[in-house]
Amino acid sequence: MERPERLIVDGRRLDGRRPDELRPLQIKAGVLKRADGSAYVELGKNKVLVAVYGPKEMHPRHLQQSDVAVLRCRYNMAPFSVEERKRPGPDRRSIEISKVVREALEPVLFLHLYPRAAIDVFIEILQADAGTRTTGITAAAVALADAGIPMRDLVAGISVGKADGTVLLDLMKEEDQWGEADMPIAVMPRRKLVTLLQMDGNFTPDEFRQALDLAFKGIERVYEAQKRALREKYVPASEEER
Amino acid sequence: MLHVKNRELVVPGRLLAEGKYLLGEGTFREGNGIFSSVVGLAEVREKRVSVISLQGRYIPREKDFVIGIVTDTHPFGWIVDLNSPYTGNLMVSDLVGRKIDVFKEDISKFLRIGDAIAAEVKMVDERHRVQLLARGRGLGRIERGRLIEISPAKVPRVIGKRGSMLKVLQDSSGCRLQVGLNGRIVIKGGDPKMINSVVEAILLIEREAHLSGLTDRIKAKLEGMR
Repeated sequence: MERPERLIVDGRRLDGRRPDELRPLQIKAGVLKRADGSAYVELGKNKVLVAVYGPKEMHPRHLQQSDVAVLRCRYNMAPFSVEERKRPGPDRRSIEISKVVREALEPVLFLHLYPRAAIDVFIEILQADAGTRTTGITAAAVALADAGIPMRDLVAGISVGKADGTVLLDLMKEEDQWGEADMPIAVMPRRKLVTLLQMDGNFTPDEFRQALDLAFKGIERVYEAQKRALREKYVPASEEER
Repeated sequence: MLHVKNRELVVPGRLLAEGKYLLGEGTFREGNGIFSSVVGLAEVREKRVSVISLQGRYIPREKDFVIGIVTDTHPFGWIVDLNSPYTGNLMVSDLVGRKIDVFKEDISKFLRIGDAIAAEVKMVDERHRVQLLARGRGLGRIERGRLIEISPAKVPRVIGKRGSMLKVLQDSSGCRLQVGLNGRIVIKGGDPKMINSVVEAILLIEREAHLSGLTDRIKAKLEGMR
């Protein structure tokens, strides 16, 4: 693929969105029968499936913590999730993302309720189009809640960035690839506490503040969709309106 | 001030009440507010706010009645699976009720691997190590019956308010039920057909635990089967 001449034309992005618009977001809770909790999220062309197992007995035993449960995360991209086949299995990038995702989720969980236990979170990226780690976090939070694991709040993730000098919400692949900055953020929305913030590229201090504001706006929409998905599992959408 | 209706579906992080309310199951306090920590149905009783979770594993608590399956033995007793992240430990003396010299007597005559037992949780320590008690009325080795497993979060619905659902299940089928809080249920009764319909009824309760008016539907269903 070649870089289009301009990423933003007349204030519209390549897919017709305005700078502060999210891609279409769809969340479904409880999609896997045999997992304790699960969620499926589509954000534009991103497709992410998350399964949660636990709390369960920790094996190997030497990794048990006698006072808290251990959260284990695995972020994995399917070989067919990107244009050029990705070599299967964990690589440097996905090992790092697994770690930061775990650290983004840990603060909301009451891990001390389950000493010696383990909680496993598997994040499978079925199709990738920029912003998969934040989409993964969004899905993982829904799956954890679906598993009945006590949480202080959900965690919602979104990315912000810059392309053609404009600060943008929810970058798509082209903007991520040819833009000037990409900043994934995860937030506990109720008290607006940030649990993940990474940045690739550069912002001026003013742009950074602007990007942060935009991100919090996006987070709010993601959070609403998460809550709706959890309710819809028990009360189908058509029934709720009545 | 209260922010939820009774039996309203809530999600983690939802503000339930502010001020002088007591913390119940599935809630936590932050500052002056009480929040839900799970997906479930909010319940307000007097000044206590709680959330009945719709999902989740069984966590052993003292005095709980459970149905376990023996997975291993050791010189003084057995390791018991409780359908939980935590296994139970049962000592010979907590099953038999007399002094036993484990060097002279073979304890496998009391229980073997694979046996099901009805037990009470005797003690849980801060690391969630579980001691069981299987001596006394209604406790001990289970000799016969049909064992089924459901989600532990749905067990309160199978029992019902002050045992109302359990009474319906037993009275209209003629079967006897032992309901373990860990989601295992033993059904005993003469007629195999009735046992099958009780199993079906319990699975229906599990599927529709979050809906109301279940008890009457179950009653009609079971009485139609007779």
